[in-house]
This record gives sequence, C-alpha cells and structure tokens, in this order.
Amino acid sequence: MNVVGDVLILLGAALTMIGGIGAVRFPDVYSRMHAAAKAPTLGIVLVAIGAAFHIHTSLAICTLLLVVVLQLLSAPLGAHAISRATHRHGDVDLDDIDDLARDRSD
Amino acid sequence: MTSIALVLLAIGAVCFLYRLLRGPSLPDRSVGLDGLLSVLVIGIIVFAAHRQNGITVETVLVAALVAFVGTVAIARFIEYRGDS
Repeated sequence: MNVVGDVLILLGAALTMIGGIGAVRFPDVYSRMHAAAKAPTLGIVLVAIGAAFHIHTSLAICTLLLVVVLQLLSAPLGAHAISRATHRHGDVDLDDIDDLARDRSD
Repeated sequence: MTSIALVLLAIGAVCFLYRLLRGPSLPDRSVGLDGLLSVLVIGIIVFAAHRQNGITVETVLVAALVAFVGTVAIARFIEYRGDS
C-alpha cells in the first residue's frame, strides 16, 4: 500500500511543478492563471490521498478529506474572483479577441 | 520518495516565486502568491506523510484558508482601487 501512496505523492508534486512552469512560461495573465490555479489543486488532492496511505490516524485522514473538499471549493472561487477583477480593472491588454468585453457591450 | 517530491516542489516554488517577484501586473503577483501557498500546503502534507504523523495536518487547513481569503482580498482590492 505504501507504494501506491508514494506514487500518488510523486504525481501530485510533479503536477505542482508543471503548474509552476506554466505560470512562468505562459504569455498573459489569464493563461498563467489557468496553469497556476488548476494544476496545484489536483496536486493537493493527489498528495492528500497519497498521504492518507501513510498516516493511519482516522482524525488526520478526516482532516485531509476536509482540506481536499475546501481546496476543491475555494480554488475555483479565488481564480474566478481574480480573473473577474482583472477583466474589469486590471489594466491588462489582450492582444487578440476579447469576447467578454464584446458580450458586455451588447 | 520524500526527497524527490520535495525537489519537485522546490522547482515549482521557484517558478511561482519568480512570478510573484517579477510579474508585470498585480494579478500576476496574486497568481504567484496563490501558487506559492499551494506549494506550502503540499509540502506540509508531504512532511506529515514522511513522519507518518498526523499532528501537522491541522496547519494545512489554516494555510489553505489563508490562501483563499488572501486571494479574494487581493481581487477586491484590484476591483475597487482608485474608485473611492
């Protein structure tokens, strides 16, 4: 069982690293947010499931479950709040088509 | 296992730190801060799994909630700055 936990933890850590590389390499704010909000969330889920194979206390496993649920709820909310505020007042220019601005001006 | 996972997390943390320090606009810095706190959360869970001891897991809850509240606070600041 410990091998399963190790593989899940390594997978989650690798996913977080990939999210970080995406946050550096992508060209504008929205695509950076796309990489930096979703990949570490799945990383936290995988690492928490993997750590539950190592920690055998039921209290700690319940806390990890709570962390996973809270992260799955709060990460999209935070990313959405940031991107909404950026689109309204962020002073970020998009060099291609801005569909949201077009729809809001209709 | 723990050392490999921590090396991967350190590479990710350096990337997010670059975005936090360098990012041309405030939303970029917010993205970097959010990612850096995610790396912190994952690091604490990896540490707890290495020690096979659940006593540090409560810290993760606090760090995740602080990351969410901080992100929302920065978003509100970006949306309403200069208006009042």
